[in-house]
Amino acid sequence: MNKLILSILLFSTLSLATDGNGGNNHISIIMFILFVSVTLFITYWASKRSSTADGFYTAGGNISGLQNGLAISGDFMSAASFLGISGLVYLTGFDGLIYSIGFLIGWPIILLLIAEPLRNLGKYSFADVVSFRLNQRPIRILAACGSLSTVILYLIAQMVGAGKLIEILFGLPYYAAVMIVGGLMILYVTFGGMLATTWVQIIKAILLLFGATVIALLVLFQFNFDLNFFFNEATSIHKKGITILSPGGLISDPISAVSLGLALMFGTAGLPHILMRFFTVPNAIQARKSVAYATGFIGYFYLLTFIIGFGAIILISNNPAYLDTSNTLIGGNNMAAIHLADAVGGEILLGFISAVAFATILAVVSGLTLAGASAISHDLYANAFLKGKQSEKNEMFVSKLATILLGILTIYLGIIFQNQNVAFMVGLAFAIAASANFPLLLLSIYWKKLTTRGAAIGGSLGLFSAITFVVLGPVVWVDILGNSSPIFPYKYPALFSMTITFITIWIICTFDKSENGYKEIKKFDSQYFRSQTGIGIDSKTTH
Amino acid sequence: MKSNYKDQLNVLIKLRSKIIRPLLFLTISPYFFFIGVIAFKPVMFSPLIFDTNISLGIFLGLVLILLIFIITLIYVYLANKFIEPQISAIKNNE
Repeated sequence: MNKLILSILLFSTLSLATDGNGGNNHISIIMFILFVSVTLFITYWASKRSSTADGFYTAGGNISGLQNGLAISGDFMSAASFLGISGLVYLTGFDGLIYSIGFLIGWPIILLLIAEPLRNLGKYSFADVVSFRLNQRPIRILAACGSLSTVILYLIAQMVGAGKLIEILFGLPYYAAVMIVGGLMILYVTFGGMLATTWVQIIKAILLLFGATVIALLVLFQFNFDLNFFFNEATSIHKKGITILSPGGLISDPISAVSLGLALMFGTAGLPHILMRFFTVPNAIQARKSVAYATGFIGYFYLLTFIIGFGAIILISNNPAYLDTSNTLIGGNNMAAIHLADAVGGEILLGFISAVAFATILAVVSGLTLAGASAISHDLYANAFLKGKQSEKNEMFVSKLATILLGILTIYLGIIFQNQNVAFMVGLAFAIAASANFPLLLLSIYWKKLTTRGAAIGGSLGLFSAITFVVLGPVVWVDILGNSSPIFPYKYPALFSMTITFITIWIICTFDKSENGYKEIKKFDSQYFRSQTGIGIDSKTTH
Repeated sequence: MKSNYKDQLNVLIKLRSKIIRPLLFLTISPYFFFIGVIAFKPVMFSPLIFDTNISLGIFLGLVLILLIFIITLIYVYLANKFIEPQISAIKNNE
């Protein structure tokens, strides 16, 4: 069965791909098949170790700080951020840097406030932490809704991006691309669980960092590593001239700027697939180390995308080989990094980067699917509905079923949203993470007076308001639904939805005089002790 | 709970916040300064620095990326040096 699926997938990849544009994409196909073979082999190896819940959700808890740091950066450096940010730098110069910094600034927040208590209190998902002393059922359901909406929005955005990218790179039809990505993702996660997903992330992170480094070095080599000369060339070639070195029109009003800033800063600390990674390390010391490694890798990666974006301005924006008839980049601005790879490194580098982009998509969707599946099987099924009474075997079965269903749903949604603008979905995922997941996690760890009632109502309102503001805002209400003016005037809702969450939770908890609330407050001290010291967590080093 | 034990816990909590608070401030304030300039006074980032073709905005942006990484390194260093021994002391006392 296993081998059958494998050979069908490989065969279809091969045959469909060779039907494409041919020529220079042979290298990328060979490299991609190599990546898929290696990762499927890892999945096979991991499948023997992922039969327990612990193995499936946390890879046995034996991943080292460095490995986890690489895997976290693998989760975070998606094809969308590699191609999207270098494309944004290509188009606007400085403004691309605003996003890079925004995506990076969440990491010290995670490190200083979340990582260690999360590791000390949780077992498989961040809902473990939020529901540590609160009423399991309502809190698990809420946390799972927060996780699933973040994961699904993220998955749709990745999937549509993947389909289009693969269509351009390999000449595969969109549907086939989406199905191959979805199929491989189901295989990795169902058979290999967290162990396979982690190693897929690690390999991909190394490949991506290596590929981006090579492009950036080859670009800088052409300018003798003289940044002055480099930026001078860019400003003289770009049609906006010197203005690309300062803030442009990407963020115009102060409220949007602050709102986007908040969503990026605190959203990262509420992304379930990122939070889940902290359960794969044995203790808080390794959790801490892994964030420092991840921040280093991701920060370095954004420096590279900045050089790549500027390099693309100089080396490809005037080269007719990469432009279509209307003088824009073939395949759109997001192809800047890909074209640049060809310009500086020829077809070998182009093939390598194309394969890396494909691998990146696969790895990121696998991590997301695993987080989504654990929200369904661990939070909803095992703890909210069966109240922790089911057998582990049963929970494992549900998690695998959930993976397959999520995979099929993602393929389906990827096809439905093919021609929609999905760029806002990642923004919405960050807004939900910042307005629901992050406040719940933060307050449950640090605020003694948090009770179930306050968390449930405040968290739900945060989730609901983030979604509502985006739907009624300029991006969905005007640009997608075609109405003439937005009901909610701002593009980024986090400033408002986060305020709603925190104020609601504060008011309700202050006035919650219920007996349950009182009991929950009493449990805080022992929880706080454990979150600060790690005393009481399962020792996983004996595996 | 022994009183000695409670004291140790308080020391740990104070130690942590002594390390975390300044680092949190060092993270949040430069970031919102950066965002604030972009939102309220973007021209402030336009001048070129040190007779080069690199603008103040790009320079500070790249410095901020470096700073974020350095903050994580400082925390890991301080936590391993000061917080971990305190936690071990509590564990041994248990």
